[in-house]
Amino acid sequence: MPIEFPVLNFVAVGPMLAVTITAFLVMFIELFVEDKRILGYISLVGLAVAAVLSFSLMGAFAAPAFQTMVISDGYALFLNLIFIIAAALSILISLSYLGERELQHGEYYALLLFATVGMMLMGAATDLMIVFMGLEIMSIALYILAAFNRQQLGSGEAGMKYFVLGAFASAFFLYGVALVYGATGSTNLQEIGSWFSVDRGNLGDPIALVGLGLLLVGFAFKIAAVPFQWWTPDVYHGSPTSVTAFMSVGAKAAGFASLVRVLMVSFNEAFTIDWQLALAVLAVITMTVGNIAALAQKDVKRMLAYSSIAHAGYILVGVVPASMIGVRAVLFYLFSYTFMNIGAFAVIAILERRSEVGSSIQDYAGLASRSPFLAGMMLLFMVSLTGIPPFIGFWGKLYVFWAAVQADMSWLAVIGMINSAISAFYYLGVVVQMYMRPVAADEDGVEAPAFKLTGPIMVTLVVTAIVTVVFGIWPTPLFNLASLAAFG
Amino acid sequence: MLLAVLSGFILAILAPWLYKVGRGATGWILAFLPLGLFVYFVGFIEPVAHGEPVTFTYAWIPSLSINLSFYVDGLSLLFALIISGVGTLIVIYGGGYLAHDKNVARFFVYILMFMASMLGVVLSNNLMSLFVFWELTSVTSYLLIGYYHEKPESRFAALQAMLVTGGGGLAMMAGFVMLALVGGSWEISTLFEQGELIQNHAQYLPILLLVLLGAFTKSAQFPFHFWLPGAMAAPAPVSAYLHSATMVKAGVYLVARLSPILGHTETWLYIVTGFGTVTMFIAAYIAWQQTDLKRILAYSTVSALGILMMLLGLGEHVAVEAAMVFLVVHSMYKGSLFMIAGAVDHETGQRHITGLGGLIKSMPFSGVAAVLAAASMSGLPLFLGFIGKELIYESTLESHIYPLALTGIAVLTNVLTITAAGMVSIKPFFGQEIKTPKHAHEAPWSMRVGPLTLASLGVILGAVPFAAEEFGALLVGPAASGILNEALEVHLHILPSAINNIVMLSVVTVLGGIGVYAVRGLLGKVVAPLNAVSAVGPEKWYQWTLDGMMASAKWQTHILQSGYLRYYLIITILTTVGLAGSTLILQGALQNLSAITMPEAQIHEILIVVMILCAIVLVLRTSSRLTAVAGLGVVGYGIALLFVLFGAPDLAMTQFSIETLSVILLVLVLYRLPTFTNFSTRFERARDLVISLMGGALITVLVLIETALPINSRLTPYFAENSYTLAKGHNVVNVILVDFRGIDTMGEITVLGMAALGVYGLLKLRLAKKDKTPEPDVSKPEPISKPTETYTPMPVKE
Repeated sequence: MPIEFPVLNFVAVGPMLAVTITAFLVMFIELFVEDKRILGYISLVGLAVAAVLSFSLMGAFAAPAFQTMVISDGYALFLNLIFIIAAALSILISLSYLGERELQHGEYYALLLFATVGMMLMGAATDLMIVFMGLEIMSIALYILAAFNRQQLGSGEAGMKYFVLGAFASAFFLYGVALVYGATGSTNLQEIGSWFSVDRGNLGDPIALVGLGLLLVGFAFKIAAVPFQWWTPDVYHGSPTSVTAFMSVGAKAAGFASLVRVLMVSFNEAFTIDWQLALAVLAVITMTVGNIAALAQKDVKRMLAYSSIAHAGYILVGVVPASMIGVRAVLFYLFSYTFMNIGAFAVIAILERRSEVGSSIQDYAGLASRSPFLAGMMLLFMVSLTGIPPFIGFWGKLYVFWAAVQADMSWLAVIGMINSAISAFYYLGVVVQMYMRPVAADEDGVEAPAFKLTGPIMVTLVVTAIVTVVFGIWPTPLFNLASLAAFG
Repeated sequence: MLLAVLSGFILAILAPWLYKVGRGATGWILAFLPLGLFVYFVGFIEPVAHGEPVTFTYAWIPSLSINLSFYVDGLSLLFALIISGVGTLIVIYGGGYLAHDKNVARFFVYILMFMASMLGVVLSNNLMSLFVFWELTSVTSYLLIGYYHEKPESRFAALQAMLVTGGGGLAMMAGFVMLALVGGSWEISTLFEQGELIQNHAQYLPILLLVLLGAFTKSAQFPFHFWLPGAMAAPAPVSAYLHSATMVKAGVYLVARLSPILGHTETWLYIVTGFGTVTMFIAAYIAWQQTDLKRILAYSTVSALGILMMLLGLGEHVAVEAAMVFLVVHSMYKGSLFMIAGAVDHETGQRHITGLGGLIKSMPFSGVAAVLAAASMSGLPLFLGFIGKELIYESTLESHIYPLALTGIAVLTNVLTITAAGMVSIKPFFGQEIKTPKHAHEAPWSMRVGPLTLASLGVILGAVPFAAEEFGALLVGPAASGILNEALEVHLHILPSAINNIVMLSVVTVLGGIGVYAVRGLLGKVVAPLNAVSAVGPEKWYQWTLDGMMASAKWQTHILQSGYLRYYLIITILTTVGLAGSTLILQGALQNLSAITMPEAQIHEILIVVMILCAIVLVLRTSSRLTAVAGLGVVGYGIALLFVLFGAPDLAMTQFSIETLSVILLVLVLYRLPTFTNFSTRFERARDLVISLMGGALITVLVLIETALPINSRLTPYFAENSYTLAKGHNVVNVILVDFRGIDTMGEITVLGMAALGVYGLLKLRLAKKDKTPEPDVSKPEPISKPTETYTPMPVKE
């Protein structure tokens, strides 16, 4: 009897395939090339192909693949773009950063690409098992990347901590999947959703709700929401800066991508009944803890780690209403955050001292006189991260707060505003250092670190800056794209 | 119109290049832009005064229906004229004042950007674009106040101003978002029609409070007034422009603009008038006790802003009229006095009035301007200030609430204002000459044009009947109409027609002012003890808030973010147990537990469980890594045995191979490491035990609940029915492994094969690299990423 092959629809996972194949190519070619930077450029080509594929799929109908395991809808494709851009910009940083530290190895690029595939899978997954698979593919690659700087004990420690805590979060997540499956009889997001809608009595089902709670724990870990954020400062601080840049936007976006889809498709009503308030409180604590802790930091890299916790809080404000406009707001925010945050990390990567972990704020003193270009870039990113108009960060914040207000949760928006005001303090602290302090003198042995601007990292800076400004002044195209992408 | 608003930004970008060409004359050259804008806006006076307001709309973010739209009516036009008019004089003045400063190009960049933002604020018809420009004024003012950035107090003041006004602005944005939702539009002119609906909405109060918070912080109303005197660290042209004529009036503008939408309610009346009244008196009271010229002016500005708020809160026809007249009066005299104060400071090196006197001889032009401006400030007849003051008294007397109390406070405020006016004009310029740090001489022409123009305008409008009448009809009338949203005709008379109560009040005020000025030294000593109250003033609260945030930030990083993995794990586990446990209890899932019936356990099953438990204890107690790994292997094998016993041989197979593999890998990696060192105390171990038990209990409960669920799998019957018919196999598990899921099995085998290759590779590597690996020192376990900023890497023994 003939073997029946199921319809798999490889086209729908085209972007993922492109990145996966590139990753294997990178590993293979590494054996034959001396200058490993070539591998970075190969990776960029692969990512470009994936981006083109994503774009070309965007006009088509949302197509499920592998029998409702994944889907290529506007939502997944928009997120693909975020992941691809994040990966590409980080690779550009890496090309300069790794070389200076003698860390230029082929597997770096391969791992980065594998992590990207994991993220894309999380964005496209329509089955909890696939979500978990994406989560693990991404996480395992990131654990290794975090520990990639083997000469630095801090890097090893970052990888270790990330791994142990991440393993716990994954275990909780898996328990959550098991419970949800036990309660609803399916791991398919759509079917879980219809299980709730068929019988309204199911909405209060304790097992499904505990399952959702454990899923939320898993997601909260990946997006660095309080109280599951402990790893963030240590890991962001210890990892190579190019990895931190990638992790801070990519992993966060992937976590949110999947969280939003799970909540919207499967648990919409059940979530609003039982977990909405808890998540709202989580958002408030996350913003506040992140912002307040960032105030005390003397290290810019650590400060940005805390600020990334705060931003997770802002984005959660857009998730909490579980509304269409909220989804758009989250997408818009993730997109804008990708650019301004990677831009900021690119500046850090340039200024970081080779022998040390982190980047002391003293090294930024008087930067405006040493390099007006670099200082101007940092100023731009700091101002945008604060959410001051007319830069892209402002519109992201406006959008998520708008979503909260529309869902009758004005208090959440107001707390968000207060937090933005607090954040101005530490972001502008960097600006004060750069523009209003003299270059740190020799007095306590602190000498301004030498730096050089190389081609690839300049591209990162210029691209992120242009996007931050242009979409800040003219955000309409991005708004439209985000609207199309929200489960279009 | 778009070009008019944005031209300031464009020119700001070009300013540094212009400065390279223009050098000392740059101020004069750049002043053509605000001058041109002023002329442009003058062109609007005629049509706006006689007809409909003009709107311009440019699409910006259609998807959120946010437009870049501008609305020119009497109110916004009056503000635009002040901004561009005073702006012209300030740019010229700034060129002279900062002529010897090497950063003067930066000043021009900031001030032009500020002017453009300010124009944007007053002309925007869209709440969101208004907010965008509003925040831009905060940012540019931050840069301007911090202009002398090498001074710490400048940086402090700049940050303080930015945080207070920027924070208030964010609150305002929250209010705007809610307002737009309730009113159904972002366009202010559309919202005018929705006033009644909004005022009756449940969210009216939060909207009002949030918007007013923005307005009050920007316009330095009590208790947010403290940032303004601090902001005097800015160069004089900045103070003259931002802190008297324009930025601080943005709050006043906002309150006036939104009056038709939010105003004319009881709440509005009490809040706006209340805060305004308190502010005007407190600030006037503080003002006359200062000795620094700029601080006197700063506090008297706060007082004037209070008067404006008070008037707008009252909202009657005459009060609104008074507000608009006083707005113009104040911009003129205060702008001019600030510029003179700057000139005096610039030419003498002295800013404290105790060290100044008799300057009229050396600085005649400035002296004349100062006297004229101060006369207007005092509200002497034949000055525009007189008309303003008369109208203020008329409004307070007609007030619906506490007319007498309001009038009394207004008189007191004005008495103290006259005192302050004397202190900034008569004291420095007349009386005995006092030697100053620099030899006093007249300021350059660029610094004389501004004060003289503004001061003489006050006389012309106040003394020429025709000018006053036209001013009232063309500017004040339309502006007041804009606030009231109905047409209002205004007739200004330079002198009252008859001697009435109001005139009497004026006489009392002037006499009182002269009296207080004369005895101010004595009075100062009398009230000195009262000032102890200011030790708990709002500025302290600001400082306490900041300090508190810093302290909790440090606490957070030192205690919670300790860098120790175990603490992170503890918190993670406890939170999860708490979250999941509380849901279980709240949803009543625990009651079902008792209903679960346990099957009888067989002896061999119990044996396996005991074996697992023993292995776990061994893992926890041993100090050898090898033993620990082996112990873990036993645990895994035990579980695999359980799988076998409960009819899942395929699962057991996988488990066996995975366990074997991981034991091998772990041994390879770990066995050269030294033995464990136990460094935890008995208490810590007890605590960890409790936490582990809690985590274990949660999982146990979950498993029990899960097993109690009815399983309605479609797979089990399918395989049972089809394994013989389709695959000709009696053993269902075998059929699943090699047939139904054949490709999966192949994949698994491949993975295992690859892993085996990896192990082989590792083995080879180890053999090659033997004796090369250093032994790490683990006797003092300490996290690398310490919570503190100091960073010391862990020592490594070679």
